[in-house]
Amino acid sequence: MHDMEERVIGALAQLELGDRLLTSPAAMASFGSDALTAFHQRPLAVVLAESVDDVVRAVRICHRERVPFVARGSGTSLSGGSLPVEGGIVIALNRLNRVLSVDPDARTATVQPGVINLDVSRAAASHGLAYAPDPSSQSICSIGGNVAFNSGGAHCLKHGMTSNHVIGMTVVLPDGELVTLGSDSTEPAGPDWVGMFCGSEGLFGIAVEVTLRLVPVPEAVRTSLAVYDSLQAAGDAVAQIVSAGLLPVAMEIMDALAIEAAEASVKPNYPSGAALLIVELEGEREVVDGDAARLDELLRASGASETTATEDPDARGLIWKGRKSAFSAVGWLAPDYIVQDGVVPRTRLGEALAEIDRMSAEAGIRVANVFHAGDGNLHPLILFDGREPGAVERAEHLAGEILRLCVSLGGSITGEHGIGVEKRAYLSLMFSPDDLALMGDVRRSIDPLELANRGKMLVPETVS
Amino acid sequence: MQHAIPVASLGPQAQPMADAIGSCVHCGFCLPTCPTYVTMGEEMDSPRGRIFLMKEVLEGELELEVALPFIDNCLGCQACQTACPSGVNYGELITPFRAYAEEHRHRDPMDRAQRELVLRTLPHPRRFRLAARLGRLGRPFAGLLPASMGSMLRLLPDRVPPAQPLPPVFPAQGERRARVALLAGCAQQVLAPDINWATLRVLARNGVETVIPAQQGCCGALAMHTGAAERAKPQARRNLAAFPADVDAVITNAAGCGSGMREYGLLFKGEPEEQAAQRLSDRTMDVSAFLDALGLRELPSVAPDPIPVAYHDACHLAHAQGVRSAPRKLLEASGAVRLVEPAEWELCCGSAGTYNIEKPAIAHQLGERKARNLLATGAQLIATGNIGCMTQVQQHLAALGHDIPVLHTLQVLDRAYAGTLHTKEHTA
Amino acid sequence: MIDTTDHVEAIAEAIRVGPRVLPVAGGTKPGLSRASGPDVVALDVSGLRGIIEYDPAELTLTALAGTPVAEVAQALADHDQYLPFDPPLAAAGATLGGVVAAATSGANALRHGGVRDFVIGVRFVDGTGRLVSGGGKIVKNAAGFDLPKLMVGSLGGLGVMVQLSFKVFPRPRATTTLAFDLPSREAQLETMARLNRGPVQVDALDLDRSGVLVRLGGDPDALAARARRLCEGVEADVQHFEGAADAAVWRDAAELSWVPAGSRVVRTGLTLRDVPGLDAALAPFAATVRYSLAANLAWIAWPGTRDLADLDAALRSLGRTGVVLTGTGTNAATDARTGGSRLIGAPTGGSFGSRIRSALDPHARFLES
Repeated sequence: MHDMEERVIGALAQLELGDRLLTSPAAMASFGSDALTAFHQRPLAVVLAESVDDVVRAVRICHRERVPFVARGSGTSLSGGSLPVEGGIVIALNRLNRVLSVDPDARTATVQPGVINLDVSRAAASHGLAYAPDPSSQSICSIGGNVAFNSGGAHCLKHGMTSNHVIGMTVVLPDGELVTLGSDSTEPAGPDWVGMFCGSEGLFGIAVEVTLRLVPVPEAVRTSLAVYDSLQAAGDAVAQIVSAGLLPVAMEIMDALAIEAAEASVKPNYPSGAALLIVELEGEREVVDGDAARLDELLRASGASETTATEDPDARGLIWKGRKSAFSAVGWLAPDYIVQDGVVPRTRLGEALAEIDRMSAEAGIRVANVFHAGDGNLHPLILFDGREPGAVERAEHLAGEILRLCVSLGGSITGEHGIGVEKRAYLSLMFSPDDLALMGDVRRSIDPLELANRGKMLVPETVS
Repeated sequence: MQHAIPVASLGPQAQPMADAIGSCVHCGFCLPTCPTYVTMGEEMDSPRGRIFLMKEVLEGELELEVALPFIDNCLGCQACQTACPSGVNYGELITPFRAYAEEHRHRDPMDRAQRELVLRTLPHPRRFRLAARLGRLGRPFAGLLPASMGSMLRLLPDRVPPAQPLPPVFPAQGERRARVALLAGCAQQVLAPDINWATLRVLARNGVETVIPAQQGCCGALAMHTGAAERAKPQARRNLAAFPADVDAVITNAAGCGSGMREYGLLFKGEPEEQAAQRLSDRTMDVSAFLDALGLRELPSVAPDPIPVAYHDACHLAHAQGVRSAPRKLLEASGAVRLVEPAEWELCCGSAGTYNIEKPAIAHQLGERKARNLLATGAQLIATGNIGCMTQVQQHLAALGHDIPVLHTLQVLDRAYAGTLHTKEHTA
Repeated sequence: MIDTTDHVEAIAEAIRVGPRVLPVAGGTKPGLSRASGPDVVALDVSGLRGIIEYDPAELTLTALAGTPVAEVAQALADHDQYLPFDPPLAAAGATLGGVVAAATSGANALRHGGVRDFVIGVRFVDGTGRLVSGGGKIVKNAAGFDLPKLMVGSLGGLGVMVQLSFKVFPRPRATTTLAFDLPSREAQLETMARLNRGPVQVDALDLDRSGVLVRLGGDPDALAARARRLCEGVEADVQHFEGAADAAVWRDAAELSWVPAGSRVVRTGLTLRDVPGLDAALAPFAATVRYSLAANLAWIAWPGTRDLADLDAALRSLGRTGVVLTGTGTNAATDARTGGSRLIGAPTGGSFGSRIRSALDPHARFLES
């Protein structure tokens, strides 16, 4: 072991964390990846934080010793957002998992970063309130990670992303200073520092307390399924619904491959077809009834070969379980896959899908599509078998081409998974050298040593 | 995910292990249902963490001894398998890996002795009955023994019911609809012989004839699930010979035994018995699934004031065998109960075969958590499908000061048929 | 496409020359746009005017920062869409850039969110004269830092906005307003808290001198039934406002017509729980207050004759920060203690804020507060 490593471990040992300081090879191996296993790095040590003070002290040691650190909640990032830095420290926040308070009058909850997304809604349920952002991994992903990567979800169409629901936070800056941003009011005064922190991919430090907005649990929720004989037709239906002035809470599309994967996995009993459109309406009884009548008409007129709708919670639960398991379920179809996360303007969805289809055929690589159609947020799943020589490279090439396509159509290289380590090289497709230089300046103004989540989103400049 | 496991050089069990590892995408959906992750909050003690560890051990990247403590912590409940959207067959990874580990690991003498004692006692009804009687005498000294030995003594029942030998055949009542063979079980025969009798009576009432092969022995699940594959094989061979082929199903009424027998195919993978073993596995069915599929011929009369009953999912039934709705449907059909659903149904109660002997501290936390979740439903009776769970849940309910009866699903049905479910002495 | 090269070059040049630059356009919030100090140059960006892209099917709109809100609102209304954050002072001439810089979400922002929830892209000139972009023109985007949000409430202190992109929504097909006359402050606050929890989802929920004001929007066929449900369990006289009367209630709120002449308007975030405290703190000064957004916001009309330092102290004691929007009736002599600052009350951002400022404006060309 190098002197430096010994010194860092020695310093961490002074924190007297006992068995909450992990250094064994087994621990380092299991903390080596998040949900993007293409990347794996062994950290030097893992600190299992159980208090804000643990986080502050660990960060101060990292700052003093100039060791990079990575905050980790449940490790579910799909862009390698919580991938450790080799020789760096992982500060695990999953034990900081208390809902500190729920204020039904202000419709807010204050939580620790390790609280699981779904647990916020569970804690608020007795007040008739819920936390709206619902990433597919909501049963396990934590709020700290949601904040760092501005996570989305199927219901963002109406409710917005994580940053639209975070109004205040306490943050440990990369030198260990503790600052408070925002408040428990939805109305900020002065620059929206909270909004800036959300989605900063851990580069600004670690949020250790987060105040979230809650929404009333809708009294009626109606989920419709419509089957189309092409993805294009399903995409067109989405455009018609939007143009008609309806505002569903979610609009999702799955293609035949994605449906096949979901059926193999959680068996949601979807009607079969080339494309399945899921549309969810929620709100007051009268509003849902009125919107449902209009929606049914629109779906009929849009050429759906089959439509069904349900308000039964179990049936709806199964529909969403199938949708939300779709990424992992693709594991049934192929040994390996790459999940992409591009965005296109919603009016160009059909064009984008046709082009992806063409690119897939040309490359001879199967691509399953399951996506947030209402937001134009595509999730092409590129299927391959890593045991075949060159397969990984071909799949990565296709993934890159799809991102280029999204940008050329006026979209983005990520809607909700973040840049992480995975898409760092593509950031320059969207931003000019000046834009990127400014982002670098901003990052180093907060963290001159580039210790916090080094290597994610931006290429570090101060270290080679 | 990608791996570099030298499948060819690791024997016939290596392929299923490699397949399970290969299909894991590390998404983390398994974490919230894993009893050790939920209680310990460490990646190494999670399903995907263990998959990483097993992968690296099999690849030769990590020392076995380094990974073992975390592998040993696994309860083998397979809740992760239910939660997994990618279809990882965790059971086909952990069981062979434990066998692999057992061949390569070092155990200290005390550890070895205890393991021997458990594996030589529990699967043998006569030895277990004797041990249970002797054990009670030893209980005052439990505190002086190593933690796990002490916990073993504490698990023993206060009184052992008298042995009630089973007949070779229990005929159907009325027209015969099916003929099955019953695995009588080991510890269950000693601790709660009434479960087998209740099973026989309910089956008979529904037109099912049951044979109880005299030559049968322990199913081998305890040994199999703790890595003692070589000890399990002779036990399994004995059952391969003992169970007749001319029955509609081989019935089990202990979840752990059922899942063990359903793994015979895997146990003998690459060996001459593989096909016969797989055939027996395929015919093995939990009594609740069998009865639900057959349909109750006669329904008990509906009670005017149904008892609130919480059904506790035994891991080896819900996760390992995928049986969740059948027992619930049977309970509801009994007409005498109103089902209430506990929170965290997927979480293990901590019994897990011999786990509460080997890892008493974690088992205790899980047992208490399960008891609290069950109590929160307001249930006045707990039904479940596994003797290990019954013992564990009963003990932790009692520790929280609640004397709520815990019965096997078939015991509830049996009492409902007899019209005695509401009588206190029959539920206790 | 409108060519903005000359404008951008002029802005960059002004910033490079300095010494200090304050972007202004509509001038509807003179408390913010009044250049203070001899070294501050007012930079008029009202020439950056025009809608760049608007496809109703896309539900997004991109326009130059100096475009009047009224112009945008009209373009959207032609397609039955709207800016859900309900920017105030539109009739007075407020511009998009001013609304973003001042973070002025209006009363109807309660339903879907404020300015920060709808701004998705920005181009601005930073303190070194660089033209930079953040966000994009699509509704969902997680690439790079969220610079569009950083501009919200920045008071022209982090860059000069050139172009902005917004998410827009279909506008409610009909609206109606109910006014509840409740016997006490307690009853008013209790009613607001309850209405805010649903199940009937309201578009606006304000508390002014006349009582609790609630606006409902949506399908015209369902409106009456929803209004009836809203009234269930509220023990109060209810007054209904329909059509022009409904519009007037909220135009009054948006254009600050209720503010007594000679008052300065200070906008502060808070929670319902702070209302009694703020009421008590303001009582000695004869200030008028209107609570909005279910009391997440207070519009305070501070008498011109009173020292702003007293309000500063009151807000500090509540841990809240206020933005001094209008300077009408400013009394320089009485405001000496707040130094003419545009932000009063508790400071925000701490060293996080000052560090980010140092990156965007390393030579201190912009006003901090």
